[in-house]
Amino acid sequence: MSFLRLLRSVAIACACGLVATAALADKPATIRIGVAQQGNGDPPTFGGSSAATVQQQQLLEKEFAADGIKVEWLFFKGAGPAVNEALADKSIDFAFQGDLPSVLGRANGLKTRILLESGVRVGVKIGVPPDSDVHSIKDLKGKRVGLFRGTNLQTVADNALAKNGLDERELRVINLDTASALAALASKGIDASVNDYHLYKLRDQGLARIIYESQNDGPQFTRQAHLLVTEEFEHAHPDIVQRVVTSFVKGAQWSSDEANRQALFKSWARSGVSESSWNAEFPPGSLKSRNSPLVDPFIVARYKAVAQDALKLKLIRQPVQVDGWFETRYLDNALRTLKLEHEWTPYDAAGKPLG
Amino acid sequence: MSDTVTLHLQTASSQIPTHRRTVTQRWRSLGWALAPWALPAALIALWWLGCERGWIAPQILPPPARVYATFVDLAQSGDLLHNTLISLQRVLCGFVAGTLGGLLLGAALGLSRTFEAYVLPSFNAIVQIPVLGWLPFLLLLVGVGEPLKYILIAHAALVPATLSTLQGFRNVPVTLIEASRVFGYTRWQRIVHVVLPCAVPTLATGVRLAFTKAWLALVVVELVASSEGLGYLIVYGRQLFQLDLVMAAVVIVGAIGFAINRALDALERRLRRGLPSAFR
Amino acid sequence: MARFTQTFSSRNAPPRCDCGVNGKSAKKRRLPDLRGFVLPALAFAIWWAVSAVHGGKGGLLVTPEQVWHTTWQQITSGALAKALGASLAREASGFAIGTVLGLALGISLGLSRLASRMIGPSFDTFKQISLFAWIPLISVWFGLGDAAKVVFLSLAALLPVAAHTCDGIHAVPRSYVEAARVFRYTRWQLVWHVILPAALPSIFTGLYLALIYSWLATLGAEYLLVAGSGIGNTLIDGSENFRMDLVLFGIVVVGVIGSLLSGLARAAERAVLERRGGASLKENV
Repeated sequence: MSFLRLLRSVAIACACGLVATAALADKPATIRIGVAQQGNGDPPTFGGSSAATVQQQQLLEKEFAADGIKVEWLFFKGAGPAVNEALADKSIDFAFQGDLPSVLGRANGLKTRILLESGVRVGVKIGVPPDSDVHSIKDLKGKRVGLFRGTNLQTVADNALAKNGLDERELRVINLDTASALAALASKGIDASVNDYHLYKLRDQGLARIIYESQNDGPQFTRQAHLLVTEEFEHAHPDIVQRVVTSFVKGAQWSSDEANRQALFKSWARSGVSESSWNAEFPPGSLKSRNSPLVDPFIVARYKAVAQDALKLKLIRQPVQVDGWFETRYLDNALRTLKLEHEWTPYDAAGKPLG
Repeated sequence: MSDTVTLHLQTASSQIPTHRRTVTQRWRSLGWALAPWALPAALIALWWLGCERGWIAPQILPPPARVYATFVDLAQSGDLLHNTLISLQRVLCGFVAGTLGGLLLGAALGLSRTFEAYVLPSFNAIVQIPVLGWLPFLLLLVGVGEPLKYILIAHAALVPATLSTLQGFRNVPVTLIEASRVFGYTRWQRIVHVVLPCAVPTLATGVRLAFTKAWLALVVVELVASSEGLGYLIVYGRQLFQLDLVMAAVVIVGAIGFAINRALDALERRLRRGLPSAFR
Repeated sequence: MARFTQTFSSRNAPPRCDCGVNGKSAKKRRLPDLRGFVLPALAFAIWWAVSAVHGGKGGLLVTPEQVWHTTWQQITSGALAKALGASLAREASGFAIGTVLGLALGISLGLSRLASRMIGPSFDTFKQISLFAWIPLISVWFGLGDAAKVVFLSLAALLPVAAHTCDGIHAVPRSYVEAARVFRYTRWQLVWHVILPAALPSIFTGLYLALIYSWLATLGAEYLLVAGSGIGNTLIDGSENFRMDLVLFGIVVVGVIGSLLSGLARAAERAVLERRGGASLKENV
């Protein structure tokens, strides 16, 4: 009797073990990556970060071709907020997203892990119509300003406003996505637009004037973007996560090399933003610091600051714990494997280079 | 509604002893009175259960309690009133402008054959383009400010108002017109005393339709480009990934649209005379 | 009634009696009324003149040639076919699903007093909530892709069909039902041979409105939900890239499709109703 019982228990245990290993060894059919930007061009693509390089050079597709795993890049016109919806929906596994929208997602219970940075120390620009009487941020009081709420533009904009003694409530903020904001600015439907490198194109066409670039006020006035993964996917397929991170580090390395500058901007130009705009956005010598994937004290400090700002601005209702959100072991492994431990300089919390 | 029920009761009454008849009647009428609430109650119960059991992620479907709390929050902070008033002001201005314009245009089209011959074909062509088709055009033309909203809402109201007015004027029975001619009415008297009263029911329907379209246009234009208003609240909630705010705002939009629609419906019913029918 | 108005209005002579003398029809040949073209021709002339002087320089004032050029380019490059195909496919599926569900709901609401009592008020309330307010929720609940759009379109089609079917059934005169009872029709025969045909004009109004609303909803969904390809996307892209010529082209296409759809609905209605010799009760949109 007891022998039979033992046999039955062993049989069940073996069956469970088999099922478990089968589940663990199970590979996903597709890896889905959400990009918090509108895809432009045909086929749709984007630019301005090492993630874009990875997508354009098809690094992931090549990496996983042998395993028969497809890679799907999904673009979101609604940017960070729309990516949050897709994450909640479980429609994507990885996401390239900005700091604030990820904080908003985390505050609302999304379970994610930040793997590496992709596009840091990025400034925010404010553009106005060429004949406008707005010359500085202080003149924005009472004006109609287009701002894409919930994206990482918002916190930088709010900080810049605060620095000049203004509050969002003293402006008339209209929520517009990137493309709509550009159209509205060109047709003078709004008095100012808080935007990114897309403003350079308007400036070159004579349709806008840039009155403010936030990175000039210091690294505290920049925004960051990263690659994150859902906790579920990470638990199920840590090996795949590692390979993805390694590919991203390769892409970051290529994008950080000044020798690749022209090729890089030419590739990014497939998204419809011209090479001259990229040249204006990335001053010579800045490629390495902008495309660094490191999660250093500066990054951690910035994310903590964004979380605090979000709470202060009542964008989130309870505080967000940034500790434990970053999962850097994949990044460390990748740097070690590719022997790139000293490729990029880490920065301290104040934004100064370490050592 | 009463026919079959009464019949059934009459049959039943002859078979059931007196005291039980009253109880059965009471239960039946109670059930009948509560019936409309069965479906909403079931849905809310399902919603609550789904959130409790975690069938759906709370970011996608916030629990009812949370939505209610947000609603209270909005009301208390004054945001609700502020945004509602702005939306109402926009829709009322646009609706009144569009409806008045529609009534005038429809009257002109209905009364003057010449005017109709020149204008109606162009008007019909414009009608084929749905209200939303004009949105990108107006976005380019007038930008994202208040004029965009007023123009779009007024246009949305104008079309059904004009068409209904036109139909109302045209559908006046010819016998009445001829009778008024016999009695020597002047053109003005004919319009005021014969045509208008006949056209009023159709006009009322047109006004109600115009409001529905105007409210629809308001929601869309506020979703697309706005810095204040109920649609703006919806967008704000969505951008900040606060679905409970979105749901609370949607409920309010629905409630207001419903209330005003009901009021106009009652008005229309008073102006129309209905026919008795088999199933009412 | 409309027929009377046309026949006796002062513009036409009273109809001649068709005695079939020479086998000719009694229809009087009239010159086509060209007055309707005056206004558009005038507007076009003004547009041409003003844009020839001020426009065509990449601003908002585009010349008719630019619009024509864009139209031609869109047609020949296949972009129009692709966009229209996507939009119409979505609308067709949404319309089909919405109509089937709407008919089912409308018939059950109309025929069953219990269903009308239980579901009616909720449906009535739901009907009056502005359709587009649901879009943000639908897009979050049903995800990216076409599922959300088709759900929204089905909803847009379902509401008028159900409402008008239910109203049509409620409006069936009692005399019909009583007459059927006298002839001892079974319940099924009653529904199929008496009630549905009597409600048919109203049902068709519902279908016609569903077609129009679902076309409107297609556009709205393309503006507000995740981008794909479609004529609404063409319009929004035009407005975002400040290309007025593309926007004007899009508007014309949308208008043409809208009129084709409503013409289709009217023709179908006429075909079915004329066979029965009934008058149609049209509610103006």
